[in-house]
Amino acid sequence: MTLLIKSATIVDSKSDFHNQTVDILIEDGKISQISETIENTKNYEELTLENLHVSQGWFDSSVSFGEPGYEDRETITNGLKTAALSGFTDVAVNSNTDPVIDCNTDISFLKAKSFGNAVNLYPVGALTRNSEGVDLAELYDMQNAGAVAFYDYQKPISNPNLVKIALQYAGNFGGLVLSFPQESKITGLGVMNEHITSTSLGLKGNPALAEELQIARDLFILEYTEGKLHIPTISTAKSVDLIRKAKAKNLNVTCSVAVHNLVFSDESLVGFDTNFKVLPPLRTQEDIDALIEGLKDGTIDMVTSDHNPLDIEHKKVEFDHAQYGTTGLESAFGALNSTFTTKKAVELLTKGKDRFGIENHPIKVGETACITLFNPDDTYTFSSEDIIATSKNSCFVDHKLKGKAYGIFANNQLVIK
Amino acid sequence: MSELSVNHLLGIKYLNSQDIQLIFETADHFKEVINRPIKKVPSLRDITIANLFFENSTRTRLSFELAEKRLSADVINFSAAQSSVKKGETLIDTVNNILSMKVDMVVMRHPNPGAGVFLSKHVNASIVNAGDGAHEHPTQALLDSYSIRERLGSVEGKNVVIVGDILHSRVALSNIFALQLQGANVMVCGPKTLLPKYIDKLGVKVETDLRKALNWCDVANMLRVQNERMDISYFPSTREYTQQYGVNKALLDSLDKEITIMHPGPINRGVEITSDVADSKQAIILDQVQNGVAVRMAVIYLLASKIKH
Repeated sequence: MTLLIKSATIVDSKSDFHNQTVDILIEDGKISQISETIENTKNYEELTLENLHVSQGWFDSSVSFGEPGYEDRETITNGLKTAALSGFTDVAVNSNTDPVIDCNTDISFLKAKSFGNAVNLYPVGALTRNSEGVDLAELYDMQNAGAVAFYDYQKPISNPNLVKIALQYAGNFGGLVLSFPQESKITGLGVMNEHITSTSLGLKGNPALAEELQIARDLFILEYTEGKLHIPTISTAKSVDLIRKAKAKNLNVTCSVAVHNLVFSDESLVGFDTNFKVLPPLRTQEDIDALIEGLKDGTIDMVTSDHNPLDIEHKKVEFDHAQYGTTGLESAFGALNSTFTTKKAVELLTKGKDRFGIENHPIKVGETACITLFNPDDTYTFSSEDIIATSKNSCFVDHKLKGKAYGIFANNQLVIK
Repeated sequence: MSELSVNHLLGIKYLNSQDIQLIFETADHFKEVINRPIKKVPSLRDITIANLFFENSTRTRLSFELAEKRLSADVINFSAAQSSVKKGETLIDTVNNILSMKVDMVVMRHPNPGAGVFLSKHVNASIVNAGDGAHEHPTQALLDSYSIRERLGSVEGKNVVIVGDILHSRVALSNIFALQLQGANVMVCGPKTLLPKYIDKLGVKVETDLRKALNWCDVANMLRVQNERMDISYFPSTREYTQQYGVNKALLDSLDKEITIMHPGPINRGVEITSDVADSKQAIILDQVQNGVAVRMAVIYLLASKIKH
């Protein structure tokens, strides 16, 4: 399609027009012209939006949809629509479905199901068969079918030898291994961060130690194997420190943090609200400060919404029985843009692509148009009406946010609200 | 002040000191009532109360039931063992089904922390928490403080140590909050494995040496080790636990002063306290049981009076 985007401020340090307000002409999915003013001589479709900013398309490295198996939570179609309207052009989709995505036909199913969509869906295959943590899944075969990484979603690998073998084996073909940072025996029956709030609520604590011990273990194994490791969703100050030191030693490690772990502390749980029951758990303000510092100095490579729609039957129950997870695509940018500068928020939402082998498309003439459209100054209280996901389990409801996506232009399609 | 600041009794942490004062003054009256030849008052003839026990209980259930009957309320009892809960019904559905039979108040014991809070947000009835996991057991803490007040004149300024399995105890937590609200100094004592790591942040002293703790205190509240809540052995053997944290007569007699011994029951005689201590005049364990009925009458009466308004 052909589209003339009028008066858009480009937020892309790789673009020659960074920080400039320009018109952008897209023809057949490619950027054909960027200029202060483009005359609409050929009656192009025009797009004019209030305080429009554009950047490279955003990427989320950890999104769960539910299909196949849990379509009542979220379908791929509505999940991708949620991503698009939340500004994400690229999403890595977790394997926590039924059946678990652990072989090439499963990967092919996801690719086929998302074919032709504006949003690029990148499957993350399970690291072990059925995510049981026993035997490796067919990683090479899945990578060839389109898997961008391997992860037993939120399931810690208790056997260190399996981590060693996974890193060595995936190293043969440059596969990216994800290991969930939690030592299960230390976590025990813990359901929230172990601290004063868990003590006063009588809820079993999940100590920071459980996360840090697992990260320390995996970093030792990484040093030994020289593989390629990504640690998803870290949450404690010491975890940041461990990874900072590992990077100083030039280990091939990256990590992410979930947006909600940057915004809410464990004190949010005082009312036993299960929408705040997430994994890793919400930690203390001290941890939040360290995570933000880690993002600023580059120790933490990317943020994720860790979007995980869950139906009401798994949330509107006693706290101990509720499942872990919150939706987050819709609120991700607003939350980040409230904490960081817009430039930094955009950077955090785009720079994870390299690690997952996903192409970047700077906003330049001749490049494929893969663009997020947003208004960084829209201030609002996030409400259930802002949730596009099928399930409504968002911990951001009633939280003030600054910044909202209009949508995306990608794969030669415009998707806006 | 003649009414509570809350519509439910979900935990001590949701009360203020005036609430506790009001409950105690009301309990004074009911204690006098239950010692009369006719132990019953007609106060709650139009109130129906459901006792929902999703976890085993003998004394708390009996104490509540007696309190309700002494107030002339209509009472129905429910326990999870006989219920649809085993068939997979959710807590909200179970309770709403019972409430649709026109029940005004729910007294609930439940294994999950926050179950009472959860219920209070989703059903239309006054909720009394009779113990929710390791969270709170507010009526136990109220009757404990009431018993200290009765024995020592007041709670304010007293040194109270809670000994034993603090990690799994809702009694400990509610007692800490209740005692602090009334101006007592609180210490917890037990093996480090049974003390929550951040318990000191609640403003309590932490001690692992029982003798030091007993020498410091005016009152020792001895808790039972809750083996049923443990996913791993937190100490090697009961014998070794008793060696370090059991109170016996010789230990009591060797202290500089005569302290008061409490226990929320059920007692494991010979484990946390020996029989001669449990049966001694220093122990007020049976007073606690009697006061439990009066305090629960007060709580139910005060909450029911808010329903009628």
